[in-house]
Amino acid sequence: MSSNLHNAMSSDSGPSSGEDTLRLIASLPAPAGLEERVYKALRAAPRSGRVLAWPQRFRARIASGTVMESNWMRAAAAAAIVFVVVGGGWGVYSRVQPGQAGKGLVMPQLMPSSGGLSGSGAIRTPVTIPGPKVGEQGTQTAKKPAVPKKAASGQHPEGEATPQPAVSQ
Amino acid sequence: MGTGQAIYAGWMEIPTSAVNEEARRRAEDAAIAALVDQYAGALYRVAYSVLRNATDAEDAVQEAFLRVLRHRDTLDEVRDQRVWLIRIVWNIALDRKRRAKTRPETDDVSELARVLPATGLSAEELAAAAEHHAHVLTCVERLPAKEREVLLLSAFEELTSVEIAAVLEITESSVRSRLFRARNLMAELLDHDRSLR
Repeated sequence: MSSNLHNAMSSDSGPSSGEDTLRLIASLPAPAGLEERVYKALRAAPRSGRVLAWPQRFRARIASGTVMESNWMRAAAAAAIVFVVVGGGWGVYSRVQPGQAGKGLVMPQLMPSSGGLSGSGAIRTPVTIPGPKVGEQGTQTAKKPAVPKKAASGQHPEGEATPQPAVSQ
Repeated sequence: MGTGQAIYAGWMEIPTSAVNEEARRRAEDAAIAALVDQYAGALYRVAYSVLRNATDAEDAVQEAFLRVLRHRDTLDEVRDQRVWLIRIVWNIALDRKRRAKTRPETDDVSELARVLPATGLSAEELAAAAEHHAHVLTCVERLPAKEREVLLLSAFEELTSVEIAAVLEITESSVRSRLFRARNLMAELLDHDRSLR
């Protein structure tokens, strides 16, 4: 539904609502020469909205028809810029010498044992010093005394000897 | 210079796309010129209804067409060019008015006396009419923004409710309800001021 609100308003709105004033303003004629001034502003506005625009010196020649602006030349200019950038980057890259080895610890190269099997890349680790052993009760009892290999004849081995009762006088 | 063939100038080949682009640019210029001829007056009135200053309104119209120039590539995609242009100039005018808040208020009475049609009116009548209109406009300024915008746009005979809704990006029913509220508020404000006199 596209009804005109102006007609709807004029039917039931009187001058008291003030809409006659708004309508008066809305019907004011445009000043003379408005279109010409707009044309002038549009002509003065910069036309180029491109990323690559010709310099002012070249633009004057283009306008006079001496130089023809074309996409071909624009592409060539873009290619030249890319070539310069890539070439400069390659120049810098090729001049940079690879840096010396770091100052960190150098691990000795593993030499395969002559004639034997290789170590499969295993790195030899130093034998660690065994830690101190603290003598404890439990460990002493667990330790068995040395047993003579062959006991004397007629005697029981010490482990199997019947304990003799202690004689106290 | 044939337009259907490539142009050879020594080692350089100028493709037909360059020629086509020139033709396309000329067509765009012609289209914008037609828009200026057709809608500059209407855009000026819309801008003036918001700004109430002839110079500012003209500047707003110029800025609107400069924006059109910037979007000339997509000009064909615009469905309703009139509503599109009015929306552009409407937003520009509102933005300018917001920025102009820091400036001193212009004398509405003298400005209105200058622009109002003076046919058949004596100097006294003209001054009284200008004063009345200035008072009405003061009341319009006191309306809430939403109601004020709809009221201003509804004064344009060439704008339907659908078009106002498109300019303000609201629904048509919102336009109608806001207009109803605006008219009631305006009547209250004017009656209140009349009773105080």
